[in-house]
Amino acid sequence: MIELQDFSVSFKSGTALRQASLAIRPGDRTGIVGESGSGKTMLAMSLMGMAPAAADLSGKLVLDGRDMTGADDRGWEALRARKVAMIFQEPMTALNPLRRVGDTVMDPLRLHLGLSKAEARARALALFEEVGIPSPVERLRQFPHELSGGQRQRVVIALALACDPELLIADEPTTALDANVALRIIDLLVRLAEERQMALLFISHDLAAVARATRDIVVMYGGDIVERGPTAEVLTTPRHPYTQGLLGARPNPVAEPRGADGKRPRLPTIPGSVPTLQDLPSGCRFSGRCPVELPVCAGTRPGSTLISATRLANCHALKQEVSA
Amino acid sequence: MKTRLPVNFLIGAVLVALVLGAAALSLVWTPHDFAQMNIKAKFGPASSTYWLGTDQLGRDVVSQLMAAARNSMTVALAAVLIGGSIGTALGLLASAIGGWVEDLVMRIADIGFAFPALLFAIMLAAVFGPSLTNAVLAISFINIPVFARVARASANQVWTREYVAAAQAAGLNRAVISWDHILPNIGAAIIVQATIEFAVAILAEAALSYLGLGAQPPAPSWGRMLSEAQTLMYLAPQLAIYPGLCIVAAVLGFGLLGDGLRDITDPRLSRER
Repeated sequence: MIELQDFSVSFKSGTALRQASLAIRPGDRTGIVGESGSGKTMLAMSLMGMAPAAADLSGKLVLDGRDMTGADDRGWEALRARKVAMIFQEPMTALNPLRRVGDTVMDPLRLHLGLSKAEARARALALFEEVGIPSPVERLRQFPHELSGGQRQRVVIALALACDPELLIADEPTTALDANVALRIIDLLVRLAEERQMALLFISHDLAAVARATRDIVVMYGGDIVERGPTAEVLTTPRHPYTQGLLGARPNPVAEPRGADGKRPRLPTIPGSVPTLQDLPSGCRFSGRCPVELPVCAGTRPGSTLISATRLANCHALKQEVSA
Repeated sequence: MKTRLPVNFLIGAVLVALVLGAAALSLVWTPHDFAQMNIKAKFGPASSTYWLGTDQLGRDVVSQLMAAARNSMTVALAAVLIGGSIGTALGLLASAIGGWVEDLVMRIADIGFAFPALLFAIMLAAVFGPSLTNAVLAISFINIPVFARVARASANQVWTREYVAAAQAAGLNRAVISWDHILPNIGAAIIVQATIEFAVAILAEAALSYLGLGAQPPAPSWGRMLSEAQTLMYLAPQLAIYPGLCIVAAVLGFGLLGDGLRDITDPRLSRER
């Protein structure tokens, strides 16, 4: 349904997304994880045709059999909401503070489906019910500041669902929410995706959220896809050193036992920090921070190594290990 | 309300209320007919009949000042509405389209700014002939670049907000987004600017009328009262002082009100209180 082939997004200062290939089919639930600056949001915005105007796009972006790489705003406007829709990180800022939330949700209905005001209102009401907003009739007339964070995120989801999109992109939808509200939002998204046979692309740096929401996972670092496979497998037996570092850096919810000196062990971290766009190494993006780095890594981009029928990782060290 | 309103807002509001009140009252009532001459009572002193005395033709000064206030407010309102609408529309357009269209609109606005506003209005009124309509159009014209600049700067900020991205993600086109999402959110900035420009417009109208390019006799105008009184400065200085004070009160009132509104709507710009 939507397919990226060697799709790159570059700026004058550097490459934000390097030759990404990704296919999403109806009903898929795919997670994208990575640190800030890993290119996951750039990937999401590209799938909406909303990459910054200064960006230079190359490769192929095929949506519904149409190559959209060079499509203009007008071409995208017809597909947004109906083919792909998106929900945003900050429910506080994703709704116009001066517009009743009902009107905001009715906008795409009237524009794309040509519904009358009354029809759009009825549809918005049904959507509010579907996403679990209590007393939806009153809510339609309220302004964003009158709703709680979780309620607002549900409104944002209702807006995204308005025109029955085939793919819903959720860019860190739970990062700004309380933990228990976040869980309910994740479960709502999963339920909606299953009921509507809608594909879900769930972007987050929260591994627990991704584990709950998705079946497949894509790990990104520095604009590269470094590992992918079924979520459960990747998170239990990560193969790329970056994925291993990411998983190792999670705090244990159960307090770790104190050592002989009475202190808790330090949380392992990945040494160094994500390089800026200008300083990305030309070979493997992770070189310089990688614990198993080989001489070849800094200068040559690793190809994909097939780990199993469903799993891939891009790593020179792993390739040697597998072929040995 | 716990927060105190800024002092400039309060003083401005009082002055504006006085001027607007006098203008509104003149629609239904003035102490005398402002054009009624009474040669026997010329240069009359302040009295219970003529509260601020009479002018060189024996006309009541208070009535003239009130009628002139109405005239001044009408001109300023029309000019700010026309100039503000066109300017705001251009600013929104520039911001929505971006690229060379934005550059073009803004460079033209820059050229507009290069001319001193009053001088430009005088030039336009002189070219198109002295009349109230031309004065309104001239003042409207000098307002266009001001509003275009403010609207575009504010709109560019709003375009970066996440709810605009959400609206784009919902497939709304840039025209619809500009109208439904951008315009309401730059409203505060536009209203503040309109209040300040109202003061500028009052001053411009007075200047044009002073030069004989604005309201034509017998329509009363502070600017023309001032220019007529000028020749009689030694004989009856009060005739020049009254309209002068009115102009000061109106311009100061709207200026302070605009500043106060800005302090209220944009706390970042307000001074320590």
